[in-house]
Amino acid sequence: MQELDYAKGFWNPYAAGVALGLVLLLTFYLMGTGLGASGAVARTAAVVAHSVAPESVEQHPYYKSFFKPGGKHPFYNWVVFEVIGVFIGGLVAALTARRFRPGVGRGPTAGVGLRLSLAFFGGIVGGIGTRFALGCTSGQALSGGATMAVGSWVFMMAVFATAFVTAYFVRREWS
Amino acid sequence: MTGPLYIEGAFSQQTGYLIAIGIGFLFGFVLERAGFGDARNLTNIFYFRDMRVLKVMFSALCTAMVGLLVLSWLGLFNYATLVDVTLLKTYLWPQLVGGILFGLGFAIGGYCPGTAAVGVVSGKLDAIVFIVGMIAGIWIFAAGFPVWGSFYMSSDLGRLTLWQVFSIPKEVMAALILAMALGAFWLTKYGERWAPYDK
Repeated sequence: MQELDYAKGFWNPYAAGVALGLVLLLTFYLMGTGLGASGAVARTAAVVAHSVAPESVEQHPYYKSFFKPGGKHPFYNWVVFEVIGVFIGGLVAALTARRFRPGVGRGPTAGVGLRLSLAFFGGIVGGIGTRFALGCTSGQALSGGATMAVGSWVFMMAVFATAFVTAYFVRREWS
Repeated sequence: MTGPLYIEGAFSQQTGYLIAIGIGFLFGFVLERAGFGDARNLTNIFYFRDMRVLKVMFSALCTAMVGLLVLSWLGLFNYATLVDVTLLKTYLWPQLVGGILFGLGFAIGGYCPGTAAVGVVSGKLDAIVFIVGMIAGIWIFAAGFPVWGSFYMSSDLGRLTLWQVFSIPKEVMAALILAMALGAFWLTKYGERWAPYDK
């Protein structure tokens, strides 16, 4: 394995994994449910859509579950607060490791334009995926995986199988 | 005290939100220290350059999985509550399709939702663009909901675990997953040596 300068200075991956697993275990002990992330993105999308067209969003077959009559604001939700914490924790970790650096992560021969357009396109496809799967790597693969939930394992295997195949076609982005 | 504490009524929803910020802080901190704030560290697994994602993910999954069993043996965690009340439900076909779409998005976009958040606070412009893309993706999902709304909630198998499907004790299932993870860890060094894209 060649030395990659951007891959230096991090925790040993097994140690980081055990630390992450203990955070997840603590979450289960306290809340009964695991970690999450994509739920906060879905709620953000719903809130933005609501600010543009409140009435049609409140009656929309998908969005209406976020806007129940007399219910709380969609941001008043466990996973939204958790993701706020993720931003703060990630920032503190990046700053204290002197790793905060504005830039674009891409392969050595990939252009910024290519990388950013593929980041946008990948975000769209991945975002749609989180809705069908009702979760993402944190909620389904990691948390559902640790509780041995069937759908979470189906999701995880589908994610990695698809990503290994897809990677071949976007190798210019990362090589 | 026997967990899960919130389900047992040990604290209010408001307290739960404060806990959420604390848990999220730890989650984000560890993700950054694992190297997950940079899309290159996340996608290198797919090119067999650095199998960090597999190592972190499977050691985390196994730590929590075994930890839950140990807590339940010690009488500190009610595993039945997890299985009957809080376990994620299985919607077989939508989750398979969701996984395929998510895998496409992960390899092309370079992030998943949680790691993109850490990418943003590490200064990564591509992470911001990825998150904007995800929001647009959810608008597309919602716009097409009349078409695929019934599929989205189909093949509902309820709260179903692997050990129930295979009719084996959960401890045996956990041991099998642990053995599989250890086997995968052992294989990573061959993958990293192979590095087929960098020759």
